[in-house]
Amino acid sequence: MIEEPYRWVEAIANRREYIETQLASGSPIAAVGYADGILFVTLGRARQKVFEIYDRIAMGAIGHPGDIERLRMAAIELASTEGFTRSAADVSLRRLAHYSLSPVLKAAFEQVYGAPYLARLLFAEVGPRPEEDLFLRVEYDGAIATNGSSVPEIHQNFAALSATRESTELMESFLKGVHQSNGSLEEALNNGVDAWSVGHMTLHEESSRQLPEAAAIARHRQEQLATAGIEAAILERTAKTPIRYRSLSDDQVRSAVQR
Amino acid sequence: MALDQSFTGGSEDFPGLLRRQGLLATAPTVMDAARSGGSWGQTEATTILAFKFAGGVLVAGDRRATAGNTVVYDRADKVLEIDRHSIMAIAGVPATAWEMARVLEHSFQYFRRTQLQEMSVDGKVRALSKLLRDNFGFVMQGVGMVVPIFATYDQGVKPSARLYFYDAMGAQFEAADYCATGSGSPAVRGILYYANKWSGTPLHKLNENEAVAIALRALDTAAESDTATGGVDRNGRIFPIIKIVSKDGISTMPDDKISGIFQSSVA
Repeated sequence: MIEEPYRWVEAIANRREYIETQLASGSPIAAVGYADGILFVTLGRARQKVFEIYDRIAMGAIGHPGDIERLRMAAIELASTEGFTRSAADVSLRRLAHYSLSPVLKAAFEQVYGAPYLARLLFAEVGPRPEEDLFLRVEYDGAIATNGSSVPEIHQNFAALSATRESTELMESFLKGVHQSNGSLEEALNNGVDAWSVGHMTLHEESSRQLPEAAAIARHRQEQLATAGIEAAILERTAKTPIRYRSLSDDQVRSAVQR
Repeated sequence: MALDQSFTGGSEDFPGLLRRQGLLATAPTVMDAARSGGSWGQTEATTILAFKFAGGVLVAGDRRATAGNTVVYDRADKVLEIDRHSIMAIAGVPATAWEMARVLEHSFQYFRRTQLQEMSVDGKVRALSKLLRDNFGFVMQGVGMVVPIFATYDQGVKPSARLYFYDAMGAQFEAADYCATGSGSPAVRGILYYANKWSGTPLHKLNENEAVAIALRALDTAAESDTATGGVDRNGRIFPIIKIVSKDGISTMPDDKISGIFQSSVA
């Protein structure tokens, strides 16, 4: 098959289609920066989707649990070894994603006889100031999208991850409209859950290229909150300990989003 | 940073990961220093103590590091925070001890991150024991002996302060009231034994200020006869490091507070 370039391109296209189908049902995740840190939030019923990677780095993931686990473990191993042999300050999300995860994902994706990773990942690294927060999405083919942190004019202090590209884009365009990077945790939670609702609503409807109406978002959010658990975690900007990751239980956040 | 794809399923502990990557020192089988017993003067840190009092566990250490007759450093920190509720205090060779503390700190965090749950107190106590055991090859050759104290707060089913001391081979001993290791420890143990038994107030009933006073007295007594123990340097205003582990975490006693208690109860 791969002796002929055309067949290889075809195989890659088929593989992309296969992966997209496999990933199509994951629950979205929103990462929202606020004055005192970064919030990860998602709604779900079963498995954990937001994880601690290192002192200032968290990860959210959609995909096959086995593949997520391999990538999560690899990221933790790398960060821990780097933090141990050098220092915690030398562990950087940019290097982790660009130099370590991306090449491996790309290689696995393009080796058409091997299994690709069925996973999309969303990382965030909290900085000393909101402008220095880094958000980074890594796709199953190794493609990386960032919040443009090196260019202040286009810096966005949020990111989204959903099962389809359209849904992810709609979540981000929703956040672009409502988000303020110096807001409170409560505002971040509400925007995050709204963005989740946008992502979740636009997953299944075929023709959804438009942002849903505010009333429809509120209704959807209400319905989903009644039956699903809230999973939230924060990376705190300033804390006494070097470890900035803290997961928040459903009880701790539910009152803030129940309105 | 290269991605290692030999996936272990998280069954491996952090020292195992370091070993796989060749980042953990192993004792050579023959070393010339063995015959001289480390007489080239390796740096050593001395005298640490810990006891349970009404507010948790107090851990204290003097600041001196020596090599033979020489004072190498008078601001050494021998009381190290490992995680939010655990302290490792070290007597012995700092080069090895600080490395052990780093491995231990990363081990606990690595476990929590990969396994998505906190390591149990028994697991943490055992982890230090394993590091000491792994280091015994060096100790046999006359270098790198470490005799630590480990204090932590167990938030499990029966919340309580827990205190352990070790020998150089890695045996762990749970202390009921107090423990001390390092060259000044005989004097310290005398003071703590006396305070616990005959002073009228056993150690576990002391309040924070009383506990700090006893700790300072014990280190001062040790420094009286042991040149390797720094005690309190009144002129240089170098005070021992004193940390307290309680259910709320770890707090470090500020120098001015230690200074006040020293003036009123020790000097």
